[in-house]
Amino acid sequence: MAQSEQVGIIGKGIVIKGNLTGGGDLVIEGRVEGQIALKNHLTIESTGNVQADIEADELTINGEASGNIDASSKVAINASAKVAGDIKAPRVVIEDGAVFNGSIEMEVKLPEDV
Amino acid sequence: MATNKEMTGGAAGATVIGPTITINGKLSGDEDLTVRGRVEGEVTLTKTLFLEVSGVVKANVSVKNAVISGVVVGNVRATESVELTKEGRMVGDIAAPRVILVDGASFRGRIEMGDASVSRAAGDRVGRPARVSARPSAPPRPPPPPRAEARGMANSKSTVTPILSKIESKSPPVPPALAAGKRKVVVRKRER
Amino acid sequence: MMEREAEHMANTVIGSSIVIDGEISGEEDLVVQGTVKGKISLKESLFVEGSGIVEADIQTQNVEVAGKVTGNINASQKVELKSDCRVVGDIRAPRILIADGASFKGNVDMDAKGR
Repeated sequence: MAQSEQVGIIGKGIVIKGNLTGGGDLVIEGRVEGQIALKNHLTIESTGNVQADIEADELTINGEASGNIDASSKVAINASAKVAGDIKAPRVVIEDGAVFNGSIEMEVKLPEDV
Repeated sequence: MATNKEMTGGAAGATVIGPTITINGKLSGDEDLTVRGRVEGEVTLTKTLFLEVSGVVKANVSVKNAVISGVVVGNVRATESVELTKEGRMVGDIAAPRVILVDGASFRGRIEMGDASVSRAAGDRVGRPARVSARPSAPPRPPPPPRAEARGMANSKSTVTPILSKIESKSPPVPPALAAGKRKVVVRKRER
Repeated sequence: MMEREAEHMANTVIGSSIVIDGEISGEEDLVVQGTVKGKISLKESLFVEGSGIVEADIQTQNVEVAGKVTGNINASQKVELKSDCRVVGDIRAPRILIADGASFKGNVDMDAKGR
């Protein structure tokens, strides 16, 4: 996807309550509560804590996230991540060590005789 | 010529359901099970279920570990881990302390890992349960580098680089009993 | 598919700790070292090894029993009862071989109708 020139960083000590929207990439190291809608890549770093419904193109989670996730390309839940919520995305990856509780909806192509 | 990957003759712990076999009913046992055919009903094992690419399991599964490269329709409950490889397809719920979805796997359903206190320590230290070494026919797990991707992406912006090194050293809390044997979390090298 | 009457080399092996309660069907050889209750229906050969226990009606091409079978056996080619096996049930096959030491109770029908 387009690597935007701008990357927003929400630093470790920052707490945001509200709606975040944007067209660039975003890295969250602090805390966000509310709603997030991005057109590009959201990264929640290991110190990050997001209690929000998230809409993005791609999501990389190394920290905590709680809420519904709707991604148009991929969600990566890495080993240090702790995620709770419902995920809707064409690709979801869960690394060994991650903690996830919730539902995942990807397209599953089943053979006809199943 | 169909070769015998799993030879018989006293090889306990080498149960293989071949690709043309269909089992309809309840299957239980105390050994690893490799399914290349079709099992419908219920599967209960105290060891590992290997569902190969041609395999179909339409059943509720209760095992220690499951490595899924075929199709599962049903719920899977594992006491240790469930892994969907990149050919794996599943519709149903997973309940296990460690769940791994490799890039390319398809899944629809719920995943309950609980607080997975097992998963952090075991996953970081061991990487894989011993079973993998005995499975030459199982597809090798490609190390997914989503971290590297994020890192690579972020590195192109010089402002982010110093922050990353700070993040790397932060590791998730580990139960004290296991902390002694634990090395650094961050280096994602898979020891096989 | 190659017919294998040799040393129980098969792609499908039900190991000794496995218990199956249900129906097994397929188009390849099957080796049973564990327990099967229900029904077995194969287009190839069934080998019930020494540790195997089968409580099922069996319908296959060949059957070789070294373990325990309780149920009717219907084979289109041959049934072989090896020594130390225990079979209770009716056998219907064009060819039957019962080794010395085998234990068998039931009827035998070699009327070559097979299946």
